[in-house]
Amino acid sequence: MVQKILLTIWMAVIIVAAFLYTEAAVGFPGQTSRILFFHVPQSWVATLSFLVSMAASVVYLAKRKLKADHVAQSAAELGFLFCILATVTGSIFAKATWGSFWNWDPRETSIVILLTIYGAYFALRSAISDPDRCRVLAAVYSILAFVTVPFLVFVVPRITASLHPENTMNPANPGMDPRTLTVFLGSLFAYTALYLWMLRLRIRILNLESLKVRDLFRGRGGGNPKTENEQPRMKGGRAQ
Amino acid sequence: MFTLRVSDIGKHYGETLLFRNISFELHKGDVLAITGWNGAGKSTLLRILAGLVRPSAGAVEMFFNGKPVEKESRRRFIGMVAPAFSLYDELTGLENMEFFATVRGLSDGGDHCLDTLHRVGLSDHAGKTCRDYSSGMKQRLKLAQALLHEPPLLLLDEPGSNLDSRGITIVEEIIAEQRTLGVTVIASNEKREADYADRVFNLSE
Amino acid sequence: MPQTKSVKRTTRTESSTYLNEAIAIWFRDMRSEFRTRYALNAILMFAVTTLIAVSFAIGSFRIDESERPFLYAVLLWIILTFSALSGLSRSFVKEEEAGTIDVLKLSARPQAVFLGKLLFNLSLLGALGVVIVPTFILLMAYQINFPVFFTTMIITGCLGLGAGTTIIAAMIARASGRGALFSVLSLPLLLPLMITCIKGCERAAIGYDSAGWPEVKIAVAYVIIMITMSLFLFSLVWEE
Repeated sequence: MVQKILLTIWMAVIIVAAFLYTEAAVGFPGQTSRILFFHVPQSWVATLSFLVSMAASVVYLAKRKLKADHVAQSAAELGFLFCILATVTGSIFAKATWGSFWNWDPRETSIVILLTIYGAYFALRSAISDPDRCRVLAAVYSILAFVTVPFLVFVVPRITASLHPENTMNPANPGMDPRTLTVFLGSLFAYTALYLWMLRLRIRILNLESLKVRDLFRGRGGGNPKTENEQPRMKGGRAQ
Repeated sequence: MFTLRVSDIGKHYGETLLFRNISFELHKGDVLAITGWNGAGKSTLLRILAGLVRPSAGAVEMFFNGKPVEKESRRRFIGMVAPAFSLYDELTGLENMEFFATVRGLSDGGDHCLDTLHRVGLSDHAGKTCRDYSSGMKQRLKLAQALLHEPPLLLLDEPGSNLDSRGITIVEEIIAEQRTLGVTVIASNEKREADYADRVFNLSE
Repeated sequence: MPQTKSVKRTTRTESSTYLNEAIAIWFRDMRSEFRTRYALNAILMFAVTTLIAVSFAIGSFRIDESERPFLYAVLLWIILTFSALSGLSRSFVKEEEAGTIDVLKLSARPQAVFLGKLLFNLSLLGALGVVIVPTFILLMAYQINFPVFFTTMIITGCLGLGAGTTIIAAMIARASGRGALFSVLSLPLLLPLMITCIKGCERAAIGYDSAGWPEVKIAVAYVIIMITMSLFLFSLVWEE
């Protein structure tokens, strides 16, 4: 409860500071640089979430613990959300700065490919009816997708840089005077905290939902099949 | 000497519970029949024994000459027949057998394939494409495929389906012979097939 | 009835290698394909009809000479990729639909199955490349100044298409909506490869001596990584 309130206050402070406490950066038209306080942390969270989801997938495949799959799924959902936010805010920035909503510069391309990976992940999850198989396949896909990321990091900049030389402006480093830097880092912290809070909530929901099935499986009903020669085996002392 | 040990096997699909707490142990010469209503999970249990399906709980262990058999090696020890199985329609009976012999890494190839086909009464049809087989002939070919590598564990899901009286005699001979090789597990609703076994397991109880 | 041979057979160490088994699976698929030509027809018909549409719409003269190396590379790789996606899932889907997949699971080792199916997919891609690429070059009057580089790029690119999609085909074989799902899942993984191949073909057409052929190296790295990861992960996908 306290965390929720603190987080709300912190985020409110950041939003206000982004507009009132800092100066608009030089070299960017009008007030557009302010969006970077929001856009960069969002894409940071989207990428971080992808990593978390992949790591949880590896754990799930190794240990088959249901909770690991819940982490993977929750991280993917939130990552998708923040990825959409990052794409939209980036697009708004692009329109304001370069005049068009989409330019395929390296960062835009990477975030869109991340978006397609997330989308494919959810398409896969909804297409498999057997829950156990669904988890395994989603985990496998998450790992395969992650493996292609280095290619994006190396390939995309080499290719697109030569096609669109004017888009090499790196929005990750707005001219950082001390105020801007403070608010930027504060925003990064706020977004990460927000993400972790949402992640924990979502994982808890999934964990609770799965308890239903676990209780069904360990509860009454089902049988203890007897054979002609063997005594019935009791589980946990429960009588038939 | 082959041993099959099943400990506390359970299976559920999502929120549907199929069965749980299934345990038994079988040694060479044993024949076990699994019976139960439709949907009780007979076929699923057999698939779990074969390694085609992961159990939700419990473990399936196999031992050969005292040493445990790892999951990766189990294909050599298991032969299975099931209604849901199919063989390759566009190949002939013999081509199917030769394919499975190669894929299983059996080096004796040709002759043994023909012998096994003869054993199930398909010698005369070995050169015909499976598309032209009757359902009884297809069932016999499935039996042949399961016997090809002489597995210590034979899993038969409704082995008599689609077979005429001669086919059924062949199944009986196979089960009798399997007693000298290892273990047989039969899943069936038919009393006649359940009667082949020494022990009966009813999943619906 | 002949004497049953002894149990010795099953315990004798088998001298068969993954490769032998994989080749057996490959040849069986080829034999089956030769008798039905289902997948090959699907792939070639898709490619030919798309090529005809493109050629008709664009013709050989409507695009400016300076733009052609790049645009033609793009069109060629779009045709190759989408044709591949229309047919490469066939080998697994067919096994699943015909009901032959269970016996294969019982008889063959997972890695051998993967290699066998990969070889089959590569054969289909080989046929696709041999038919479509020369036809495209002729129809569109595609000027290639560096044919050796171009051919190498096409070959490694096709290897990549196979390497990136074979495990996905196994994943979707039982899913609902598997045709669309196959494309949705494969494209994010194939994007880095496509971008590289387009760039490589463009450079080959221009005659720019891409020193050391970096695009080919990237594509080869992609092939190696995807095949390695697939070999690791395939048994998880193959077994339920």
